[in-house]
Amino acid sequence: MTAGLLRPASAAGTGRAARWWLAGFTILGLALPPLLPERHLATFVLFALTATVTVGVSLLMGYAGQVSLGQAAFYAIGAYAAGLLAVHGVPSLLGLLLAPVIAAVAAVLLGAPLLRLRGHHLAFATLAVQLILLSLLAQADWAGGAIGLQGIPRLTILGYELREDLGYAYAASLVLALAVLIARNVIVSRAGRALRAAATSETAAAASGVPIGRYRLAVFALSAAMAGLAGGVYAYYLGYLSPGSFPVLLSIEFVVMAVVGGLGTITGPVAGAAVVIVLVQVLNTLATRPGMPGYAPAVLSYAVYAVVLILCVLYLPKGLVPALRRATRATAPDRRQS
Amino acid sequence: MTVRLAVGGVSRAFGGVYAVRDVSLTVAPGELRAIIGPNGAGKSTLFALIGGQLATHHGSVTLDGARVERLPAHRRARLGVGVVFQGARIFHGLTALENVMVGAHATTRAGFLSAALRLPAHHREERAIRERALTCLDRAGIADWAHRPAEELPLGQQRALQLARALCARPRLLLLDEPASGLRAAEREHLAGLITALRAEGLTILLVEHDVAFVMRLADRITVLDLGRVIADGSPAEIRENPRVIEAYLGPSFVRSPHGAS
Repeated sequence: MTAGLLRPASAAGTGRAARWWLAGFTILGLALPPLLPERHLATFVLFALTATVTVGVSLLMGYAGQVSLGQAAFYAIGAYAAGLLAVHGVPSLLGLLLAPVIAAVAAVLLGAPLLRLRGHHLAFATLAVQLILLSLLAQADWAGGAIGLQGIPRLTILGYELREDLGYAYAASLVLALAVLIARNVIVSRAGRALRAAATSETAAAASGVPIGRYRLAVFALSAAMAGLAGGVYAYYLGYLSPGSFPVLLSIEFVVMAVVGGLGTITGPVAGAAVVIVLVQVLNTLATRPGMPGYAPAVLSYAVYAVVLILCVLYLPKGLVPALRRATRATAPDRRQS
Repeated sequence: MTVRLAVGGVSRAFGGVYAVRDVSLTVAPGELRAIIGPNGAGKSTLFALIGGQLATHHGSVTLDGARVERLPAHRRARLGVGVVFQGARIFHGLTALENVMVGAHATTRAGFLSAALRLPAHHREERAIRERALTCLDRAGIADWAHRPAEELPLGQQRALQLARALCARPRLLLLDEPASGLRAAEREHLAGLITALRAEGLTILLVEHDVAFVMRLADRITVLDLGRVIADGSPAEIRENPRVIEAYLGPSFVRSPHGAS
């Protein structure tokens, strides 16, 4: 009986099932890229990087109860940090390691005043941060201005230069696995419990000794670090960055993916990113067919986020992963006893 | 005589109206002090001023000789102030066990980095927190609920959960705000037994309570508030005989009736 009690348990679905999911994703991340045709490999890289950012957004929204509509800003900061460092001769691996650090530092500096805001106010403030960053980047000649930062060298790890998409697919998989692992570890820890507690009652959490402000800032920085790391890989992968690569729509995309996958779950953001990206790809293929009007791709890509979000809120209010979990539990009712 | 808690001339106003005015009291280590008073006497405000949920406008709050009235609630928790709120302020989405584990926050250290990297020290601390939390759940009589989401617990068990959470920090001063209200008779008896046992172990307890009968048999000393001021302070027997207390509890409808002045 004692052994049963001591088993780590959590209402957040982060126990044994999550470990299986993690193993499954890792195998998929390793086995899938070589099987994909070249043109889909690029989509896979973008998926893994987007999912990495979404893991951070989900951590922020699902567990800490904060909304960021400007997460692409930290994606951009990580990408530009890695890109600028590499252009100025810093070893690319060092640049990749510094990208999340710089994004996290930026988040701490911005978050200190911003996180005094809550709910919609915080969401709009983060959106404003991204808009300001984009216009600053467009003005900054040292960062390539509106034309963009060009000639970023490729990522070199221990003397081996990643030239092919396959290499970046693995790098992106690795980064995603790292983000998922860290998110999971944090959620079940003392810090994660404190965050989840503060999301439902700040007063009671503070009375238990949780420094609410510092924890809100820490999780904001952690989510920014995840975005920054993904941004670093993105910079080396494309070799070219411009403010146009980080539109506000991208920030909204991260939020939609997190909500569709299921807030408050570890695997939700990965599932959400996969579903949205595949859907956008399919619609994009459809929209660029001969005979479709020229505005079709733009309209369909904007519309898909709106439609997916509305459908999700109406029919899967908790998101994909919790819905699937409930469905599997319904077919196997004895699982809880085993 | 050493003093665990000293409240010196504390005041707090809301929109120009004093909820607590110039209140002073001292609590000795190991004492079970009750604070009673009619509705609107300022009991809960005083509780929040000691716990750090509200800031004082005047006066001092001293814990074991250290001034704490300017410290935020989480710093006071680290100094050993445990709080059980009125109603059930539990953490939804966390299991009962996790709720109690959050209670250990004030006395533990592991942060984001050691959690993310899964350092060995982190594992050791997690295990210690879990064991301590299970012990506290057991003490509060709700060990069977450990792995249930906290919001699924009945109200009485949610109250017990709050108490277990506060105990998990091993406080030096335990603040209880109307812990008995809304409980059924059996639950009330269990709570009284638990409070008595904690007092016997030497825990200093400040019990804010509306129910006079409940505190009369538990408290060492009773402080009576009315309209934000201390009107009496003494042993339960002294308080029972005090004419001002009797007037405050029995007289308001008579003495301060809006029609009484004509």
